[in-house]
Amino acid sequence: MLGFVWSVIKPLLLGLVLYVILSHVAKIQTDIPYQLVLLPALFPWSWFQTSALMATPAIANNGNLIKKVHFPRYVLPFATVANNMVHFLLTIPIIMIIVLVAGFRPNYTWLIGIPLLTLVELALLLGTVLIVSAIDVYFRDLEHLLDVFLNLGFYMTPIIYPISALGRYRNVALINPMASLIEAWRNLFARNELPTPVDLWPCVAFAIAAVLVGSFVFGRLEKGFADVL
Amino acid sequence: MFSDDTVISLEGISKRYYLRSQRPEDFKTTVLHLPSFLTRDGNRKAFWALDGVSFTVKRGESIGVVGPNGSGKSTLLKIMADLARPTQGKISVNGRISALLELGAGFHPQITGRENAILNAVLLGLTRREAAEVLPDIIAFSELGDFIDEPMRTYSSGMYVRLGFSVAVHVHADILLVDEVLAVGDGEFQEKCFDHIERLRAQGVTIVLVSHDLGSVVRFCERAILLHHGKVQVEGKSQPVVHEYLSRIAAVLGHAVSS
Repeated sequence: MLGFVWSVIKPLLLGLVLYVILSHVAKIQTDIPYQLVLLPALFPWSWFQTSALMATPAIANNGNLIKKVHFPRYVLPFATVANNMVHFLLTIPIIMIIVLVAGFRPNYTWLIGIPLLTLVELALLLGTVLIVSAIDVYFRDLEHLLDVFLNLGFYMTPIIYPISALGRYRNVALINPMASLIEAWRNLFARNELPTPVDLWPCVAFAIAAVLVGSFVFGRLEKGFADVL
Repeated sequence: MFSDDTVISLEGISKRYYLRSQRPEDFKTTVLHLPSFLTRDGNRKAFWALDGVSFTVKRGESIGVVGPNGSGKSTLLKIMADLARPTQGKISVNGRISALLELGAGFHPQITGRENAILNAVLLGLTRREAAEVLPDIIAFSELGDFIDEPMRTYSSGMYVRLGFSVAVHVHADILLVDEVLAVGDGEFQEKCFDHIERLRAQGVTIVLVSHDLGSVVRFCERAILLHHGKVQVEGKSQPVVHEYLSRIAAVLGHAVSS
């Protein structure tokens, strides 16, 4: 129960601070109420950022377990991702309340869009954490590097602003796989719009590549885990 | 290549570790020391923890591994448990392994003994339901009583071993690897463990026991292997192998005394 409270309070507090500052202090103008720009993008991003950060040292910090018990090593980073996925799913009712309060009405698209986008983000995350958790065993400062990059990613991904605000630089931003995914989440929650294949392909392609590369890298590197830890 | 009753077969297993390898542990060091990183191989020194070890273990056998510290016993068990990969050689294992290596056995100090028991049983290959089914047996065997619901950081080393052993013998493994842990338990518990090992053996479970307690090796293992400098020195019935080991120790001691 306490876990549920924390999983909701943390993104909600961050969302509240960003909302007050950006909407009422910086006075950003958007076509839909600003909370509908921010929160439907912030919560899926938090899932990604927290999972990636926590899963990176998942192998390296469990040397004791790795060296003494034989089990599939990938369960350690995967468990972190799954745990944070549950936290994210628990914040969806909050998004729903905010959408309703703003006078919008969710419809059937949510029932299709939520599982679809969850699956894409899950695949992207699983592939990513396979790579970073395996490399982190050999290069422990990857954790710090990743922290820096994720903080940059927060601003480079259309989270606190809609992607339309980028104008002609929109296509540059879409190189970032999270950009199309976060935009798809926002369009789903704030506009009841399902992503088209054109919207989502950068992210899906990245997710597939991440899973393939991740399985390969992890499979190669895990042979040495017990010797290095 | 696999006769029906062979459960573990090792062919020319070698394991190399590097001394003074000075492998950089992060990107920063790697980049800052790129020149020395590229030439580091000249500095490192190979150490063969195991050097061409070959033997087979048959179903239901119990085999003891003896030898001085640093002779490669634990490395051998790690390779059998698939925790480390051999540098050279081939190993085949036919059956599910439960390994109890050193103290701690992968327990998490912050969670309770009960939670650790379930976690460990699941990691060793049981489903959650199976783990829940054997949990009462595990707790009863460990004799930890009310302490089972205390966090494991409060446990003594004896209590660690009790729980670790209890989990390891209750996961329905075909092969049980035990590395010098029973010495920490008290005499009574050791007896109980050996009784249980006997029962498992009667059920066809294969046992590999690493121990410095040579009396136990003679008592519980029909065969034994003497390792030294990563090589199998003697292999055979446990009594003569242990005898040989003791006479080697005596020879070293005698040499020390006479010089």
